[in-house]
Amino acid sequence: MSDVAKPKNPEEDWKIWLVVNPANWLMPIFYALLLLAIAVHAVLFSVGIGFQ
Amino acid sequence: MAEQSLSGLTEQQAKEFHEQFKVTYTAFVGLAALAHLFVIAANPWW
Repeated sequence: MSDVAKPKNPEEDWKIWLVVNPANWLMPIFYALLLLAIAVHAVLFSVGIGFQ
Repeated sequence: MAEQSLSGLTEQQAKEFHEQFKVTYTAFVGLAALAHLFVIAANPWW
C-alpha cells in the first residue's frame, strides 16, 4: 500500500472528486455541515454564550 | 472500457467542479468570518 503516489495538496485537491462523486455526495456533505453548525450552536447556547 | 475513476468523473469534470467548490467554500468561510466579527463586536466570548 505504501507505493501509492501521495498527492501534493492543495494543487491536487481536485482529485477527491475522482473518488467522491459530488452528484451523490454534495448534499450529504452540506447536511453534515448543517448538522455540525447546529451542534456547535447548541453547545454554545447551552454553556451560556448565547444572546445576553 | 477506458480507465474510469472511482467516482465516474473525468479529470476535466473533477477539475471543473473543484473550481466551483472552491468559490462556494471561500464564500462560506467569508460569511462565517463576518458572523464571528459581529458576535465579537456584540458579545466577545473571552
